[in-house]
Amino acid sequence: MIHLKDVHKTYPGAVPLHVLKGINLDIERGELVSIMGASGSGKSTLLNILGILDNYDSGEYVLDKRLIRNLGENAAADLRNHLIGFVFQSFNLISYKDAVENVALPLFYQGVSRRKRNAMAIEQLDRMGLREWAHHLPSELSGGQKQRVAIARALITNPAIILADEPTGALDSKTSVEVMKIFRQLNNEGMTTVIVTHDPGVGAQTNRIIRISDGLIIPDSQIVKSQTDMDNKKTDNVSVQHS
Amino acid sequence: MFDLFNEILQTMRTNKLRTILTGIAVAWGIFMLIVLLGFAKGVRTAFEDSPMGQTSNVLQLWSGRTSMPFNGLGAGRTIPVRERDMKALRHDIVDNVSAVSGVLEGNTVVMRSDSSSISSTYSGVYPIMQREEQLRVTNGRFINDRDVNDASKVVVLEERNATTLFGSPQRAIGRILDINGLAFKVVGTYEHRWISSVFIPYSCAKAMNGFSDVLGTIRVNVEGMSTQEEAEAIERSIRESIGRSESFHPDDQSAIWIWNRFSNYLSQQTAMSVLNWIMWIIGLLTLITGVVGVSNIMFVSVRERTHEIGIRRAIGARPRYILTQIILEGVVITTLFGYVGILLGTIAGEIMAYAFADVEFIKDPRVDVGLAFQVTALLVVAGAFAGFFPAMRALKIRPVEALRTE
Repeated sequence: MIHLKDVHKTYPGAVPLHVLKGINLDIERGELVSIMGASGSGKSTLLNILGILDNYDSGEYVLDKRLIRNLGENAAADLRNHLIGFVFQSFNLISYKDAVENVALPLFYQGVSRRKRNAMAIEQLDRMGLREWAHHLPSELSGGQKQRVAIARALITNPAIILADEPTGALDSKTSVEVMKIFRQLNNEGMTTVIVTHDPGVGAQTNRIIRISDGLIIPDSQIVKSQTDMDNKKTDNVSVQHS
Repeated sequence: MFDLFNEILQTMRTNKLRTILTGIAVAWGIFMLIVLLGFAKGVRTAFEDSPMGQTSNVLQLWSGRTSMPFNGLGAGRTIPVRERDMKALRHDIVDNVSAVSGVLEGNTVVMRSDSSSISSTYSGVYPIMQREEQLRVTNGRFINDRDVNDASKVVVLEERNATTLFGSPQRAIGRILDINGLAFKVVGTYEHRWISSVFIPYSCAKAMNGFSDVLGTIRVNVEGMSTQEEAEAIERSIRESIGRSESFHPDDQSAIWIWNRFSNYLSQQTAMSVLNWIMWIIGLLTLITGVVGVSNIMFVSVRERTHEIGIRRAIGARPRYILTQIILEGVVITTLFGYVGILLGTIAGEIMAYAFADVEFIKDPRVDVGLAFQVTALLVVAGAFAGFFPAMRALKIRPVEALRTE
């Protein structure tokens, strides 16, 4: 599903920042993976590139058999809309729209009629167990509910992948567990899911952990010696899987 | 499309105060534009309806006194205006002159009907007088060529005089009016804002004045001219022609008095034009202030919604949609509140019309429908502009960065 080959990205500036130094990464359809790394490791940049929110300088990124390379803004927007479902740490719901309108928004940009997209939105909210909250504003929802609305929004276009950026970062431990349960459930139904996180607890609930450090993916055999592990202090809880 | 408008209305409702404040700026701009233009139009209309504005293509001449010696004749001579001068003019000046006529005023005499009488002068005129002074004939007819040729004793009265003498303008037709002992038949009545003369054929007046060929005034009806230079050129030709006929120097400005109504009309037109331009400029500048206000607010609005715009773009909004949404917002605000301005401006126009009803130099200070539409079109364009620059600004930010904003 996702294939990155030798991807480089440098941020221009007075001192150019070479953030991704040759990323090689493969994620199969139906996998539930987490990408873990410390700040400055390049994990946010990688996330942006996976999410077609940013361009990369060299290499190859193929998503769902489509080559993503130097896309114009229009093409990028369309692909984001169709292929990717975003879930953010801070939920990123539009504050003056209710749950249904938020969930339906991606379909609005596909040109789907109001009635149809609202119906589909209710369906997704139902799937998340939020039917009674359909017409509430985000300010009237708890953190966990908001994230579930965000997940419903991510799902509504039936994307190729779900891309989550620290989805449990703003949630308490109990709600985090619930949200991770949802991700695992979706994955069971076949949705390829990539979660970027620094929380090893979250990583532990995924089937594969991809570690990134200093702009490069750390091959699994090197995991024990990596800086990230030493920072985490929870080395015992980290399960290392051979790909 | 409907969806888009829904989006916009939702956004506007979310920030009611901001929207209203912006809208007030626009409404004010439009309001001022309409009031000023209405005012200018009022002044212009009053002028055009006034004696000065109408009958503008006439030059009138009266008797004067020479100020320069000429051909052995001294200064200080009274120059009368005579029939032969009329003929000279007809002969000498051919370009741009459509008619030369004259008026012979009689003395003040008593004019009697069966039941009443008035005391008035009479004016011996040619038929062209009606067109020149725009006398509106309400009953019967005006003096015609046959009357002048035959010296028929007919008379045309102003409506109020007719009412005084015969009870009503309608009843006056066909009745006999005794002018200084002579029986004149009333053939018509007319209506005019300020003229109320008793008109009889020129030839009759001449006869009543003892067949002298001296006239009260000569009127030269001009056409096909449009500049001050032409107006002055005609005046000079007239002086030259009569100068030859009555023996005075062509440069003598006081030998005969010329009222160049055409020249006056031209200067008034220029003044009106300048007034109109000034009003437009002031109005537009005020409007620009309003539009700048809208643009300002849209900049702020866009800045505040950077995060939201980032979300939309991450979900798949094309740059064009964002652009359209913001520009349309600008258009909706400007147009909506612009209409409020037009409405208020029109009401103000009505109030002005009422308040200035008795003021001579302002008449009907209202703006017509055509102008209202032009202003509306202007509004739409202005609104699009007001939204355009903030929108471009919004799009320059990458979705990633926008999402990081809070």
